[in-house]
Amino acid sequence: MPITILQPSLAPPAKLRDADSDSDSEGGADLEGDIAMGRPAKRARTQDSSIMTPGEIITDDPQWMRGHGTYVIPGASSNTILSSVAGTLAKTNKLLSVRPLRARYTPEIGDLVVGRIVEVQAKRWRVDVGGTLLAQLPLSAINLPGGIQRRRTETDELQIRTFFSEGELLVAEVQQLYNDGAAVLHTRSLKYGKLRNGVFMSVTGTGGGGGVVRARRQAFTLDISGTDEVSGSEKIDVLLGVNGYIWISKHIEGEGAAAETSGPGITRIEESVGLNVYSSQNDIIPVDTMREIARVRGVVTALVENGLRVDEEMVTKGYAEAVEMAKEERDSADTLWLGGERGKRLANALVGR
Amino acid sequence: MADRRRINGPVGATTPPIFDKPAGPAAAKTRDAIRKIFLKTGITPSASGSAYLELENPNPQRPGNTSLKLSCTVHGPRSLPRSAPFSPHIILTTHVKYAPFATRQRRGYLRDSSERDLGVHLETALRGAIIADRWPKSGVDIISQKDDEGWDMMNVLSGCITVASAAIADAGIDCVDTVAGGVAALVCKDDKTAPTIVMDPVVAEHDSILAACCVAYLPTRDEITNMWFKGRLPGADMMVYDKLMEKSLVACRCANRVIVQELNETVKKGQGIS
Amino acid sequence: MSSTSQHLLLSPAELAYLHGSLSLITPGPIRPDGRSPTQFRPLTAETGILPGTNGSARICFADGTEAVVGVKAEVEKTPVPPYEFVASTEGRKGHSSAPKKSSRKSKKTTTEDEEISMDVDEDDEEAAGVNEKARVSPDWVELSVEIPGLRDDDSGTVFLTSMLTEALLADGEFVKKLWINRRFHWKLYLDIILISPPLSYPLPLLSLTTHLALLATRLPRLKSEADEDPMFDDDWAAATFLYPRQDTTSAKASNKSPKQPSAAAAAAPASRPPITLLVMAVGDNIIFDPSKEELAVADSAVAVSVAEGPSSETEPESESIPATSTKRNLHLLSVRTIDPPSRLTPPGVPNSVNAAAWGTMTAATPTTTTAATAPANESGAAKHPDARVTETEDVVGVWKAPRGGAKFGMLGAMVAKVLERGGVAEEVLDGLEGVDLT
Repeated sequence: MPITILQPSLAPPAKLRDADSDSDSEGGADLEGDIAMGRPAKRARTQDSSIMTPGEIITDDPQWMRGHGTYVIPGASSNTILSSVAGTLAKTNKLLSVRPLRARYTPEIGDLVVGRIVEVQAKRWRVDVGGTLLAQLPLSAINLPGGIQRRRTETDELQIRTFFSEGELLVAEVQQLYNDGAAVLHTRSLKYGKLRNGVFMSVTGTGGGGGVVRARRQAFTLDISGTDEVSGSEKIDVLLGVNGYIWISKHIEGEGAAAETSGPGITRIEESVGLNVYSSQNDIIPVDTMREIARVRGVVTALVENGLRVDEEMVTKGYAEAVEMAKEERDSADTLWLGGERGKRLANALVGR
Repeated sequence: MADRRRINGPVGATTPPIFDKPAGPAAAKTRDAIRKIFLKTGITPSASGSAYLELENPNPQRPGNTSLKLSCTVHGPRSLPRSAPFSPHIILTTHVKYAPFATRQRRGYLRDSSERDLGVHLETALRGAIIADRWPKSGVDIISQKDDEGWDMMNVLSGCITVASAAIADAGIDCVDTVAGGVAALVCKDDKTAPTIVMDPVVAEHDSILAACCVAYLPTRDEITNMWFKGRLPGADMMVYDKLMEKSLVACRCANRVIVQELNETVKKGQGIS
Repeated sequence: MSSTSQHLLLSPAELAYLHGSLSLITPGPIRPDGRSPTQFRPLTAETGILPGTNGSARICFADGTEAVVGVKAEVEKTPVPPYEFVASTEGRKGHSSAPKKSSRKSKKTTTEDEEISMDVDEDDEEAAGVNEKARVSPDWVELSVEIPGLRDDDSGTVFLTSMLTEALLADGEFVKKLWINRRFHWKLYLDIILISPPLSYPLPLLSLTTHLALLATRLPRLKSEADEDPMFDDDWAAATFLYPRQDTTSAKASNKSPKQPSAAAAAAPASRPPITLLVMAVGDNIIFDPSKEELAVADSAVAVSVAEGPSSETEPESESIPATSTKRNLHLLSVRTIDPPSRLTPPGVPNSVNAAAWGTMTAATPTTTTAATAPANESGAAKHPDARVTETEDVVGVWKAPRGGAKFGMLGAMVAKVLERGGVAEEVLDGLEGVDLT
């Protein structure tokens, strides 16, 4: 059936997901401040009053300090803190802040992000990372080919497009933040650089608990040789940018963000800076790998459409589940498609419903 | 003191115009030929490239039935303005405009939606022919003006494609091939007879046109850059459709020969001068 | 610049990957979202959502792209053509101008249809025109498309508008439905609004929504007779459908299965409004309903408009159709090539000439060509950064924007794939039949 036309249905009643999602979402380490878009459910159980709407008075106790998402009325009772966004309340020591339930990406130092070059300037690139402002990547914050350590010269400035040009994708780390919230990126590591051999997808702007969450590992490798159709030992790299931009690509030994967390130190960088860091030429990719890449992409789409968080654990489990599903219905032709009803089945299998 | 309040007749006597008797009816156009095309490049000195196209008028004696006249100017390639974003390709903009006097009902100076629509078709047709990555960071404007009245949209489009192709070649912009436009139509003499396919249909000659097809074609590459078909074909019959397309391609090849010949002549002339 | 090419920013590596996976031949194309080549994105559809209109529909995709169409009808006086005698006496020859030109007032959006229709519709009307009913004008339909973020007179919007109008008017059957009597007609306003920003080329979405809205459109029942001033029945329940249909139960029953012969015999198989499908070709593969990324690597793209009509006796040329027992009688209405945005994409740089990726010969990816000449190229490229845009041969894995056009056979195959028996158009119409019309 080439076309599926559904009747509109009422939005399902808001699920109280504390009870069932707890068991499987508690796995990861509780990083500070990771309420982000990911798991409002976790806190909702203990603090029901933590959901704030704009204008709501949070406290008038002068011991608290105001953080993001709050404001105070200047004047007499200046210790009244009010919420300025709809979201969940977070308390860090004596700092009160409200995290919006659904928002554009707010960069934080150390975030691993996937970005797209939108503008090339004389000494820097401007990178779309899905935030409110474009991030900057200065020419001095990239590795030169071959890992040469030297000052950037005029020649480098003239050739700036040979490193990155408009439209190209890169993986980078947030190095610094300006006062206005704009991020400065760097790619001074073997893990970072231009992306190739794969597909891009964006899951930003998805509310309702979906989206990429900050986790211990944003980049990981999936072994696809488990599917018996795949010959050889191919692997797939999955790069979950904290900003909701995702890159899924063929794994190449010794390359990519998922390669080695304890990569070579700065001393060895000259020897091994990938010779392909600025290449825009794809390698020859086996058909099986392409198919599995599409499957992983389908898994992520299904996760997002069903309001589940996107992290290593969910993607790995979801992928295994999708492979199982494909094995079960081996005779039907389109086992790759994971939208609509099939996506729902996958999501239900994942959360154990 | 002249009377300024009303429009006066001309001072002095005038002679009423005497119209010459038109020559006898032109030979009926055979079905397997297109009308004669007059094409000349380099008519606008201020533009980078230009061309003028006129179609033979098969029925000159009929009042209000004049031939199709098109002029086209190409401006560029030239540098994009500083504010424009970087482009790895040439930026192509096309304008198709009917002269205000080109139709029976006078047209405004602003382009209306049909002219914009033709502009998109023309852009699609040309974009496939131009080697866009030879000219990064530059732009080119192609302005086609229809100067005289009388023809339907598809004939105008095919003329625009042909004339713009000649003008682009005249401007020295790299092309993979000279693209040419051609039209074929499925026409019906009356209700009884079976419909036939004609190349380069003269709308006024046919009682009813069931379907028409305009194609922009690259002859040496044997590729089609733009295709526009509309009308109604009996049933889901692909045969008629394919034949219609083939006929359009023949018309394209004919028009292309005119372009090539004209360009040859221009080049020869240029060599003679230098 | 057409709207297909807007906000298109993809890296050469992405484009090369997409093109590679979509042009695979042995297992067929692998689409990034895993769909089969003829599979459409699932959509949610409903009709009758706007009580203030004569007919309305809404369709949305899972990604949030959503279109709403409202159809409004007004009674309008048919202008009496001043040159009617011209039309009747000399109409065979000078038909192209007199009666139609006079009715052209300020109808901005439909003027061009007139111009086209001169050679296509009107001639038929007049050829077939034995009675007054044939004197219809494409002016009676006014279609507007609104896409957020684009101006009304943006050429992309104009192109979409004229494509949808063209499909509706191409066979001249539609306007005949709007005839009331010799002095009055319905004027139909179709307002097509895309609610979300266009995440992909919105043509199929808008066309399917328009299709459903027209199917749901009802006009009040006429109470007056002949050429009187029209009087209408106030009872909305008595209003007649613009596209008459069999009673709903049999329509429901025939939803999945082929039409029962009894139902088909009872009423002439209801004709249906046109649908316009977007088809693209990558390599030798033909792909339907492309997403934005897929369209960005298309070698060619075509919009094909198809309508299902009854084999009615009013069409003189349709008598040649054998009365087959197949369920659908499809007409090809219009075909337009669409400028694929792929021609505007940035080209990739082969490693062999890439100044910033030197030393690639030793890397795991031997370039297929020019490996030997690479050292020379490197130094050259380093000196002249612009050298990279000079011609390079096709290298596997490096994106190059397509040049030229599509082969004749490929265009034909794309149209045939839509039209063939059991082809995509039939299946889409089957799917649309399942939508509950209110």
